[in-house]
Amino acid sequence: MRMVLAWVTGMGAAFLLAPAVYANGWNMPVGVTEISQDIYSLHMAIFWICVVIGVVVFAVMFYSLFRYRRSQGAKADNFHENTTVEVLWTTIPLLILVGMALPATATLQKMYDPSGADLDVMVTGQQWRWHYEYLDEDISFTSSMSTPGTQIRGEEERADEYLLDVDNPLVLPVDQKVRFLLTSDDVIHSWWVPDLAVKQDAIPGFVNENWVRIEEPGIYRGQCTELCGKDHAFMPVVVHAMEQDDYEEWLADRKEEAEAEANSVDREWEMDELMERGEQVYGSVCATCHQDDGSGSGEFPALAGNEEMLDDVDWHIDAVVNGVSGTPMAAFGGNLNAVELASVITYERNAWDNDTGDVVQPSEIQELLE
Amino acid sequence: MWNVIKSVLAAFFGVQKERRRQEDFTHGEPIKFIVVGILLAIVLVVVIAMIALTVAG
Amino acid sequence: MAPKLPPQHTLEQSSATTTAGQAQEHDHHHGGPTGIKRWLLTTNHKEIGTLYLLFSLSMFFIGGIFALVVRAELFQPGLQLVEPEFFNQMTTMHGLIMVFGAVMPAFVGLANWMIPLQVGAPDMALPRLNNFSFWLLPVAFGLLLSTLFMPGGAPNFGWTFYAPLSTDYGPPSTTFFIFSLHIAGISSILGAINIIATILNMRAPGMRMMDMPLFVWTWLITAFLLIAVMPVLAGVITMMLMDINFGTSFFDAGGGGDPVLFQHLFWFFGHPEVYIMILPAFGIVSAIVPAFARKPLFGYASMVYATASIAILSFLVWVHHMFVVGLPLAAELFFMYTTMLIAVPTGVKVFNWVTTLFRGSITFETPMLFALAFIVMFTIGGFSGLMLAIVPADFQYHDTYFVVAHFHYVLVPGAVFAIIAGAYYWLPKWTGHYPDERLGRWHFWLSVIGVNLTFFPMHFSGLAGMPRRIPDYALQFADFNMVSSIGGFIFGVSQLLFIAVLIKCVRGGEKAPAKAWDGAEDLEWTVPSPAPLHTFETPPDLTSQAPQRH
Ligand code: HEC
Ligand SMILES: [Cu+2]
Ligand SMILES: [Cu+2]
Repeated sequence: MRMVLAWVTGMGAAFLLAPAVYANGWNMPVGVTEISQDIYSLHMAIFWICVVIGVVVFAVMFYSLFRYRRSQGAKADNFHENTTVEVLWTTIPLLILVGMALPATATLQKMYDPSGADLDVMVTGQQWRWHYEYLDEDISFTSSMSTPGTQIRGEEERADEYLLDVDNPLVLPVDQKVRFLLTSDDVIHSWWVPDLAVKQDAIPGFVNENWVRIEEPGIYRGQCTELCGKDHAFMPVVVHAMEQDDYEEWLADRKEEAEAEANSVDREWEMDELMERGEQVYGSVCATCHQDDGSGSGEFPALAGNEEMLDDVDWHIDAVVNGVSGTPMAAFGGNLNAVELASVITYERNAWDNDTGDVVQPSEIQELLE
Repeated sequence: MWNVIKSVLAAFFGVQKERRRQEDFTHGEPIKFIVVGILLAIVLVVVIAMIALTVAG
Repeated sequence: MAPKLPPQHTLEQSSATTTAGQAQEHDHHHGGPTGIKRWLLTTNHKEIGTLYLLFSLSMFFIGGIFALVVRAELFQPGLQLVEPEFFNQMTTMHGLIMVFGAVMPAFVGLANWMIPLQVGAPDMALPRLNNFSFWLLPVAFGLLLSTLFMPGGAPNFGWTFYAPLSTDYGPPSTTFFIFSLHIAGISSILGAINIIATILNMRAPGMRMMDMPLFVWTWLITAFLLIAVMPVLAGVITMMLMDINFGTSFFDAGGGGDPVLFQHLFWFFGHPEVYIMILPAFGIVSAIVPAFARKPLFGYASMVYATASIAILSFLVWVHHMFVVGLPLAAELFFMYTTMLIAVPTGVKVFNWVTTLFRGSITFETPMLFALAFIVMFTIGGFSGLMLAIVPADFQYHDTYFVVAHFHYVLVPGAVFAIIAGAYYWLPKWTGHYPDERLGRWHFWLSVIGVNLTFFPMHFSGLAGMPRRIPDYALQFADFNMVSSIGGFIFGVSQLLFIAVLIKCVRGGEKAPAKAWDGAEDLEWTVPSPAPLHTFETPPDLTSQAPQRH
């Protein structure tokens, strides 16, 4: 009997504590969009409905367990049917659920209306990073996790944004309707930012649609939520929401950079420049598979001291630009520009004691791409 | 027939009287219940689908 | 909850068991196979039931060890013990082993033991098929476990094995995984056929369908579900096999295939599978609660009807696992409505059990404790299920630890507790001894504490934004994960007590009479404890008494 009492107290405490705990930031975030706030309200409504039903049911249950103990001389009744009661306790939950279905339907209708977007962003999942393309602006870049391996392995203290920081966040203006078009180059990923209440699968061969209108400037963090292989835990999403002016400034800077890079394709690049740029590209795109030191791991081949690759520049270029079909090695010709490709290939041919001295010029790659 | 339909509807709702159950199991043929069950499930699907399609516009 | 048998009947039964005793001796005199061969070749439903249960128990521990590897890695942020590749293999194997190797075979084992006893049949309808169904399992799971030692490692794409991660991007062992799942599937289908044949054809004269105990009813319906959906699973893994080895592109977008088709097929199997794992649990709890409340089950008729309709409706809700896949609005609405609808009759069954307790005469032996814990915690899992049905909210919950919390609440303190409750309840019948009550209580309380410590915090880590299936996580999830890991180890280790209880109970203990629990009413309690190898060789005749429920 004491046990039953302990149980009652325990469960009671859990139920009373649960909502209290909820209030302390362990709950779903309210978020910074109208939709996220709607969803939060739906979530809390259904939560409290469950709490109330739970309290009633468990109260009756524990009262019965306590009151009708055989050890206290309880004699069993024999009733076993009461259709009225059964109909009643089926109908009431049914009505409650209809009551829940109405606002849920309304919210869903809102979510499914991407019309009138001010800005379109194509989001492409790739093992294991995100690629963003501003469709009307001719800007695109890759966004990969910037948390260093030393923190993951505990050799360095972990930063506050451990695993949730990227090299290039997605920058968006506030108070604008931004439409996302999501797809994937390899396996299924899922793009999620809790504060924006956007979670949408990125599926190879499909283009999914979603949208957001952010109400407050800020940095919002999320993660890939569909198992996508080894580094599924390491492909965060970071959205930097800015006021319109700041956004436009950022956009202008980005465009200038892109233009400068495009113009630089034709000029002769120095080895040092290529190596510097190459290291950056390698770290952000290639290192998840081939490792920072080019040593590879498992099915991902080592690039340091890779004879086949070092002996034949054209083969190397082909592998990177066109990928190796039937393997996780993607065709980067579609994702990286000529400068990035040339520099990463040059980097791979000269880093980690590879020291071939080969320089691959962006202009060569540009020709290939055309 | 009406009794069979009533029983199947009761099953969908999840509540049935003991007396009715006794009747179902003494008189009814199981095949009737299965056929009616599947037909009513189809009706249910159509009804909910109509609602969903109307709401979705 | 079965026919109340008048005393004359019990007398008649005991004479039948005397013959049974002789028959058993008869067997032995003529030197039936002994030693290992006896177990390899047995066609006896009790021995096969025991084999199933022991197999399931060992899988439960193997799958549990995988879970503990996962929990150990997640004890702290950072990568400490295992690499992400291996971590993914552990989550995958844990899920596959627990679903297909532990929970399903445990229910089949209980069915083997108890259904013939509960319907008054001498054995299963197809004894040799029964033997074959069982022996397929060690083959299937031996093969599956062997993939851990293959180059490239074991399957690492989650127990839901979504394409193209499992096809174009899967490890070489995927083909073995497919083969082993095929074998396990055949075993399930054959087992289901056998159960249906037994229930429909072998009931004692005079036992009508309407007199069957609820465990028999729920299993009958489960068996039909199995036959309906296991072929779908077989189809989808065969399509994978073709994609991997024979150049088709069912699920490969590059070849014109459709990765979403995979998910539709998988969940068309997967959702009924959820009911396959919970309906027999309902049956067990519906036997135990009335027995220890000494009062008939409230709303037996409703239970039977609702179970039958759940079977049909369970084919109409699969898309609730796919709300963020990007389906049209009408589809999302349709499946939100159906999911809410099916939740009602399922959830309302809890009210029936609670009302059964009301004005009963209740005692708290170990089986009852586990059954009561089932009711409470299954309900909690049901609540989070209801929350998940609200599509807009599901956009936030989906693929986070909130979902992990949800399905572990319905599967661990749900299905697994029901299996354990059933074991404690029927152990006196199996061994002739009562399980040790003191150890049982320890087992119970440690399990309850462990389970809740493990899975309750997962609701919070999920809501706070932690995705599932990650080997490393952001710092704000650290506290929840530490608690979950501690709870996981408490739960895991306390299952060793279960082994202790089992061994002790087989070896000896308080002798149990034929009717081991004074409130238990079904036919199995009319045969001696331990149940002799052969029972009901002369079927009990229930016709003359025209048994009436209640
Ligand atoms: C998703 C993991 C992944 C990423 C990211 C990746 N690779 Fe690879 N890469 C592979 C795999 C796997 C192979 C081996 C293909 C095969 O089996 O032939 C490979 C092969 C190569 C090869 C040929 C070497 C050989 O011996 O086969 C080169 C060169 C290469 N990658 C360069 C790069 C560069 C440059 C990047 C970044 C722009 C990159 N890879 C990004 C997985 C990856
Ligand atoms: Cu991903
Ligand atoms: Cu489901």
